[in-house]
Amino acid sequence: MACKILVADDEIAITNVVARKLQNAGLETIVAGDGQEAYELASAERPDFIITDLQMPGMNGLELCTRLAAELPVPIPTILLTAKGFEIDRASLAHLPILQVMTKPFSPNELLASVKEALGLCAGK
Amino acid sequence: MIELRRAGAVVLLFLGVGVGLHLLLEPLRNAGLPAMVKAMTLGAGLALAVLGIIGGFLISRVPKERIDSVAAHLENMVRRGTVGMAISETEADALGRLGHAVNRYLAFVKEEVEQSHLEAKEWQIQMKVLDAEKRHIEAVIGAISDGVVVTDAFGDLVLANAAAENLFGFKFDPAARRPIEEAITDSSFLALVNDMREAGVLVPHRTIEWIQGAGEQARTWRVILNTVVESKKHDRISGVVTVLHDVTKEKEIARMKSDFVSNVSHELKAPLASIRAYTEMLVEGEARNETEAKEYLHVVASETDRMTRLIENILNLSRLESGLVPVNKADLAVTEILRDVADVMTPQAVQKHIRLEADLSPVFFRVHGDRDMLYQAVLNVVSNAIKYTPEGGQVRISTYLEDGAVVVEVADTGYGIPQEDAAKVFEKFYRSRHSAKSAKGTGLGLALVKHVVDVVHGGRVALESNVGKGSIFRLYLPAVR
Repeated sequence: MACKILVADDEIAITNVVARKLQNAGLETIVAGDGQEAYELASAERPDFIITDLQMPGMNGLELCTRLAAELPVPIPTILLTAKGFEIDRASLAHLPILQVMTKPFSPNELLASVKEALGLCAGK
Repeated sequence: MIELRRAGAVVLLFLGVGVGLHLLLEPLRNAGLPAMVKAMTLGAGLALAVLGIIGGFLISRVPKERIDSVAAHLENMVRRGTVGMAISETEADALGRLGHAVNRYLAFVKEEVEQSHLEAKEWQIQMKVLDAEKRHIEAVIGAISDGVVVTDAFGDLVLANAAAENLFGFKFDPAARRPIEEAITDSSFLALVNDMREAGVLVPHRTIEWIQGAGEQARTWRVILNTVVESKKHDRISGVVTVLHDVTKEKEIARMKSDFVSNVSHELKAPLASIRAYTEMLVEGEARNETEAKEYLHVVASETDRMTRLIENILNLSRLESGLVPVNKADLAVTEILRDVADVMTPQAVQKHIRLEADLSPVFFRVHGDRDMLYQAVLNVVSNAIKYTPEGGQVRISTYLEDGAVVVEVADTGYGIPQEDAAKVFEKFYRSRHSAKSAKGTGLGLALVKHVVDVVHGGRVALESNVGKGSIFRLYLPAVR
């Protein structure tokens, strides 16, 4: 079973490139264009991993993580992919399953490496 | 009988001289030289008393007619209010000798009194000058727009100007000294002043940023505290002078600039992120085929354009505001501009399933203006309307004449703008929390609209909005008749 990864960003160009990079590495992806859609997809499909933007119309990335963490029995490890890296209050992430904050512009290679490392078990299957 | 008359004459002598002196010295006393006058009066009284005793003894041996003439002379002097010769000195009798002594003394008193008159006048003038200077200084301090509060070494309020009264909501009474705590209740401010007083000569000067109130009403003041040290007493202070300068607006502008830089950076990073990622994909050979490689390159190109547009927008407003863009005004038809804007914006509206209606009057309202600038202004308003209206909504552009102005109206069925943001949306860099959530922007679009309409064309902008129902933007431009 391939790992399923949810990619959420309001920039189509970003979701496209991230999804393509992950697919090329043999991972399964689902894509959301805003926070609400990401929330619904995550609740329904229970992905193994989430890569999400922070600033999105409607529900932002942090709200998405907070809601999922509160509602799902098993927390989904998440990478925040954002242009506002150093403006995030790190304390607000403490109770969330956020593994890493990666700042834009980013390297798809590095992102894939981070995902692979986090999903060691899943990727080895 | 004769003895009685003589005694009466003596009494009259003292009364006369006393009243005469009193009349002369009275203006001096009023002129504010009490100590000196008192000393003189006392001296004169004593001298007269001594003279009186001698006089009484001598007068008892003097013929009645002589005493009567002296009495009449004194009476006359009292009536005239003068000091001078009281008794003829030519007589060689006892009264003549007394007269000589009294006259010498009176001449001395007269000189002293005249001298005092002159000095008193001088003092009066000086006091008037000082009083005028004091009032002038008070008026100057009162006219200062910064708050000024002065306390003495004991923490009593010595002076506060009108700005300080407004700031703290109290009335300063120069006649009644009272502790500063009774006038000003804000404990954080009192602490600043009291700390300064307690620090004494060790801290002669201090500048502190102090925030008054909280939330929306909060104001930031730059508080400048200076201790007053009297030149003779170097070891202790005689008071604290506090000046409060309102820096709320400066702080707000600084915050908006910082927000703007942050926003712009974020907006620039978005296309940059795509360019970076797609370039890496191409370098790494992630494209599966030629078509996909072309697709990546296409993204890089379009994101580069996006970045360029953003930078152009920032520079445009900056150039416009600094007056670097030449204004080319001509008589032009507003309707034509609106039609062009509608044509350009239609694809964007269609993409969002928004009905864009241009209800244009068949009459061509004319304004005297710069076509390119007005086009950009209307484009920004319409583009915003589409941006902040959810899918399936409606944006309607219309124009009409009202009170000598051509009105361009853009009405949408969008998210609307909360009342507290309505006044600020035209400010540069301002983005309401609401708008930041629903769409991306730099907070420059409406600032450009306002600048073009207000400053370049002498018109005005207005906004009517209901949250959840939509907004109506109106641009009023002076019509050409």
